[in-house]
Amino acid sequence: MVQAINRALAEALAEDPAVILLGEDIGAAGGPFGATRGLQQRFGPDRVRDTPISEAAIMGAAVGAALTGLRPVAEIMFMDFVTLAMDALVNQAAKARFMFGGQRGVPLVLRTPHGGGLSAGPQHSQCLEAWLCHVPGLKVVCPATPADAYALLRSAIADPDPVVVVENKALYAMKGEVPDAPEPIPIGRARIVRPGRDATIVAYGAAVHWATDAASLLAAEGIEAEVLDLRSLQPWDEAAVLESLSRTHRLVVAHEAVEAFGVGAEIAARMADAGFDELDGPILRVGAPFTPVPFARELEAAYRPDAARIAAAVRRTLD
Amino acid sequence: MAAPLAEIVMPKLGLTMAEGLLAEWRVAPGARVAAGDVLFVVETEKIATEVEAAGPGEIREILVPAGRTVPVGTPVARWTGAAPASAAPGPAAAADRRIVATPLARRLARERGVALSTLAGSGPRGRIRAKDVPATAAPAPAPDDATRGAAIPLDRVRAAAARRLTQAKREIPHFYVGAAAEVSRLLALREEWRELPGAPRLTVTHFVLAAVGRALLAMPELNRVWEGEGWRRLSSPDVGIAVDTPHGLLAPVLRDAGHLPLDALARRADALIGRARDGRLAPDDLQGGCITLSNVGMHGVRFLVPIVNPGQSMILGLGAAESVFRPDAHGAPALRREVTLVLAADHRVLDGAAAAAFLARVVAILEKPLALLLAPAATGSP
Repeated sequence: MVQAINRALAEALAEDPAVILLGEDIGAAGGPFGATRGLQQRFGPDRVRDTPISEAAIMGAAVGAALTGLRPVAEIMFMDFVTLAMDALVNQAAKARFMFGGQRGVPLVLRTPHGGGLSAGPQHSQCLEAWLCHVPGLKVVCPATPADAYALLRSAIADPDPVVVVENKALYAMKGEVPDAPEPIPIGRARIVRPGRDATIVAYGAAVHWATDAASLLAAEGIEAEVLDLRSLQPWDEAAVLESLSRTHRLVVAHEAVEAFGVGAEIAARMADAGFDELDGPILRVGAPFTPVPFARELEAAYRPDAARIAAAVRRTLD
Repeated sequence: MAAPLAEIVMPKLGLTMAEGLLAEWRVAPGARVAAGDVLFVVETEKIATEVEAAGPGEIREILVPAGRTVPVGTPVARWTGAAPASAAPGPAAAADRRIVATPLARRLARERGVALSTLAGSGPRGRIRAKDVPATAAPAPAPDDATRGAAIPLDRVRAAAARRLTQAKREIPHFYVGAAAEVSRLLALREEWRELPGAPRLTVTHFVLAAVGRALLAMPELNRVWEGEGWRRLSSPDVGIAVDTPHGLLAPVLRDAGHLPLDALARRADALIGRARDGRLAPDDLQGGCITLSNVGMHGVRFLVPIVNPGQSMILGLGAAESVFRPDAHGAPALRREVTLVLAADHRVLDGAAAAAFLARVVAILEKPLALLLAPAATGSP
């Protein structure tokens, strides 16, 4: 996946001189996860900038650059530290188009990795995307495959408004085909990963893979679960979820983020309204428990949702 | 300070009613109504009922728009009057439990005209789920095409009838006994009756209703139905009448048919049939009785082998009167007027001998109809 991101960035830099990258260690070092490897050599230090360790400075510079005509792609090394970039992101980037009467947008992209599984501790493993989804003016996407990582990042860079691309750390090493001439993926469009008639599992990011594993477990029991990859969290593809629910009449929403007040809560609430007459069982969520991510490997493994928990939720909603 | 507003709720119009379609509002917010004014119309799978104001008041707010189906007890409006709106007060106890069903099951039940209260749920805590709602007899609407014709979705009455009759034919072990009744005397009696000033018109249907009622009086042990896993003995000699209406087949029940004098029976039966045709039956009109009469004689057919109405144990099919020659005591052809009766019965409730004896009793009464002019024997006597 990391090569797909690298390719998307390289092609965007090559196609549009307004595109610049900024972040910690993205230049000479090629990025903490290698996403920007080789780009500074190819496009120069003016366009691929190493910054001080200050998320507030990265975000402030990105908002200013975007307002003055560039298309900055900022990287915040761990989503946990988006806390330090929140003012520029939430109070400036998300608001500018509305406060300037639509005369100016903020076409910036924030790339930031979330998720655990690396025993990186409570301050380097969080999934905070629900915060950003709650802010009018921000778009949020979260790819589950290399091909989607490429296409969603290209769509984010092309978008006239601020887009947060949330990348799952555990998926950086994932291998997968990216076509030579990939089809663009519009922001806000979900994808059916695996069709099924008995229950719908809505997931995004790493949870998509747990969901397909769960569907395989369930298939052995004669339960055909449909897996829907949201790809985009804000806006999210309400029509696709409703369409799937209208066929299966059962819904489970799975994500790595803490279950309480998460993206799954929003989807469950909307479907309890728009999909009310389609429901033949309770809508269930699968997410992390309401506690910080543990550091110890064993505890973290117990903390993160997995295929077995998603399969159990599907069985319960079919009860 | 304004007095707190009372709620008008979806009334319970029958023992099995769990929800009702609020078909029509007859009042608007702000309307001042008096006791007896019709507030709204409720349709259940059996019937449309006008719900009247119990007393004076002003309608302040309508909570459920026309066209929505809501469970019994759901507030449908707020008004300044006293709490309850009157409607045929149904026996409320047993079916008042809250029905636990998924939204999809509720929607399917509504679309298929199935009362949720009749279903058993297979989910947790008895929750009714989509698979517990029986599939409707009506197929999904298909696109019109020349070879397949057009699919016609059923209204509530017809959908309910289709479902109930399917259930009856599937669950009730039917058997049949048939007989011919010689009705020359009955027809002659009717001719004389016609000349009586002020007497209501009498039809063969009226005579047979009376005969069936009298037979029930004479054989009260057969006035019983299947219920749960056993019999229920009924106390009143009630007889149902199958009525072909513009909304479909209905079978209102003529109360106490066995005790009514012929003229009163004719008037009440005609009124009941009229209400059925006009869609003005009260829920109670459709309840009770162990037997229904279905007369197809007006179409000139000889006999009808009917399906027992769910909840009853017998149904009598009546054909047209016809002229036939039968051998008399000396083997010479004698002209007779006969109707053919076919009694369908539930074998869980009656055996062949009982059904045959019952039918023979009906035939005997029809063949000597003067007995119908006597006051019936006291209830319960053999």
